[in-house]
Amino acid sequence: MSDARASREELDAFRREVRHWMEANRPPDPGFVLPQSMLFVTTEEQFRYLRDWQARVYDAGFVGVEWPREYGGGGRARGHQGVVGQEMSRAGAPFLINLVGLAWAGPVILAYGTEDQKKRYIAKILRADEIWCQGFSEPSAGSDLASLRTRAVREGDQWVVNGHKVWTSLGRFADRMILLARTDPDVAKHAGISYFLSPMKIEGVDVVPLTKITGEGGFNQIFFADARFDADCLLGREGQGWEIALATLNFERGAAEGAAGGGDGYDYDVGKAIELARVVRRDGRSAIEDAGVRDRLARFATEAVAIRYSAARARTPGLVGDRPMALPLMSKVVGSEHVQRLADFGCELQGYAGTLSKGDAAAIDDGEWQRFYLNSYGFTIAGGTSEIVRNVLGEKVLGLPKTR
Amino acid sequence: MSALDSIETRLVFTDEQAHLREEARRWLAARSSMEAVRSLLTDRGGDDPAAWRELGAMGWLGIVTPQAHGGAGLGAVELAVLAEETGRALLATPLLGHVLASMVIGIGGSEAQRASWLPRLASGEIRAAWAHVEPDGAWRAAETTTRLEGGRLRGAKSFVTAADSADLFCVPVAGGAHVRIILVRRDADGVRVEAEEVLDRTRRQGRLFLEDVTVESDALLERAAVEVEESLLPLAWTAIAAEAVGGADAALAMTAAYAAEREQFGKAIGSFQAIKHPLVNVLIATEQARSLVYAAACAIAQTSADAVLLSHMARAAAAEAYGFATSRAIQFHGGFGFTEECDAHLYRRRALASRSAFGGPDYHRTRVADLVLGRV
Repeated sequence: MSDARASREELDAFRREVRHWMEANRPPDPGFVLPQSMLFVTTEEQFRYLRDWQARVYDAGFVGVEWPREYGGGGRARGHQGVVGQEMSRAGAPFLINLVGLAWAGPVILAYGTEDQKKRYIAKILRADEIWCQGFSEPSAGSDLASLRTRAVREGDQWVVNGHKVWTSLGRFADRMILLARTDPDVAKHAGISYFLSPMKIEGVDVVPLTKITGEGGFNQIFFADARFDADCLLGREGQGWEIALATLNFERGAAEGAAGGGDGYDYDVGKAIELARVVRRDGRSAIEDAGVRDRLARFATEAVAIRYSAARARTPGLVGDRPMALPLMSKVVGSEHVQRLADFGCELQGYAGTLSKGDAAAIDDGEWQRFYLNSYGFTIAGGTSEIVRNVLGEKVLGLPKTR
Repeated sequence: MSALDSIETRLVFTDEQAHLREEARRWLAARSSMEAVRSLLTDRGGDDPAAWRELGAMGWLGIVTPQAHGGAGLGAVELAVLAEETGRALLATPLLGHVLASMVIGIGGSEAQRASWLPRLASGEIRAAWAHVEPDGAWRAAETTTRLEGGRLRGAKSFVTAADSADLFCVPVAGGAHVRIILVRRDADGVRVEAEEVLDRTRRQGRLFLEDVTVESDALLERAAVEVEESLLPLAWTAIAAEAVGGADAALAMTAAYAAEREQFGKAIGSFQAIKHPLVNVLIATEQARSLVYAAACAIAQTSADAVLLSHMARAAAAEAYGFATSRAIQFHGGFGFTEECDAHLYRRRALASRSAFGGPDYHRTRVADLVLGRV
């Protein structure tokens, strides 16, 4: 990734280009329900629609804009990808489905991969030619990720993997997985882990869907039973897995820059809640006239603006204060808890209509507030629960002793 | 689309501004250590004349006063930096009150009035206070009950910052077509000042009684009080918010340091999530408020239309963060936190007192609602 930051003028010109393209190339109404983020892709038709959309956006030059040209990126200065994200959100465009590749796997391959690995994987990530998923969590290794038990054993030129991964979004559709497995059971738990770029469509890899609290799928368990892949699927060194996993989590939690696109997935803003408050009634008047509703909307508005300026401040040297890691490390917990409370408020505002679910003809906003609220727990749990992130903030930023 | 989508202020922070922060920290470490702050505490608050002279010599008393009138000619971002750092150090000297009073004259005064007063205010030779609050707590210019009739002034103001050391008061008065602001000298006949018993003992505050004070014809500022107030308030809100963020940060730092050291059950209490997670919540509230403070300061510096909304947001968020940080500071210091000896209550008292200045969080949130949602 380029380290140079783009000038204001450069970005303004690019913004006009992206906006124009988005207006001219709006994808057609799919005729079926689109998922709200990549966490919720369930059907084959949703998957194909979204994969094709990413390929079109890539072909237009708007995915991997800041990534090196030699691997299929656009080679532009920092700041461009953010413009694409803002314009996609403004245009109401579908999200980019290959988020795991664009935001997590790709950046760590660029940072830790061999030349061959970069050439092999990066361009296909950008164009959604190969879809990625993440194999970190296990049934008994959630917040305590380093206690994971999936084993990889070297046999000749191959690795043989046995184990069980859970909460795998896109697992049914993915071609590759960023996989953490234990390669040395005899050393300290963090030291015995290695990081693999594992193929998914091979013998010995079995995908079993899970149903989420919304009733939707999109979430899977992955069973490895003597699955075999080539030795060159190891990323970094044997035993370096934990370090690369933490780097991945920094990308996942928004604490590191460098994603090739994708958006944050929780694009539920205060503006939508304000529109809802204008529509629903309280005591015969629009709810937006109610003092209690107004106070809560003012709080949400204040939080939303603070979140926006915190992201800007994190990039402003001299304004990050004495704790340079504080803003990047808190961005996930602040953003995810904000939208969760906002979605909850959206349900509450509806009064009795808040008891309806998606699918009922009378549901306000087609029941999306209720669906989004339930889905929002994906954000406060995945990638490190809010509680684990608070431990990290307390320890890394405030200097408090470790919790045991 | 909502009013939020049109916010366009960009954060800009220069090396000079970063340098000012370093300078402020150095000076405050030398002149406003907790030991120094405590030595100035009396029941009626106290300040340090030597520190005042140095603040004048460094140009900070006139930080936003134009250079043509003897000031440093700097803007809202620099004032925010200074306020954040003085808030962190709990500076007892009434720097901010004096700066705001200088701005009242700078914005409202004629050229002759500015030329006559501002250089002496910037140097610190004369101390000024903005006496804008009524005894019943009403603080908007339109609500003033002090009257000017036939050249004589009658009324009272309360909650006047550093009233007992001020040489000059900027007093909103009714009586003509508009509320105006009049400059009243401390030594004029009929002027009486009474110190208040204050909660925040690092800050002097008092009541001003105007009993048939004869005023000179050139003492009335040119512009209407409402106009002065409108152009000054976003800066006042932002500066007070900056001070609050600095104070919240200091309270957080002292509590985190204590929690990392203090042991119970054989472990540092900061390792317990019952302590760790609320402290992280304090960190989050403080950092989010700080982002709003610098957004508001940049909006004012860029004369952006966002300034009013962002300063209301900053003021509300910072006051709540300060309250939260200082409440947890007392609680997490345990029994020691309940003693006079622990500094936590000094910050808690400051947070309680500064919360009400120019409207509390509820006041500001109501304005945020009006601006974002439209008035009912």
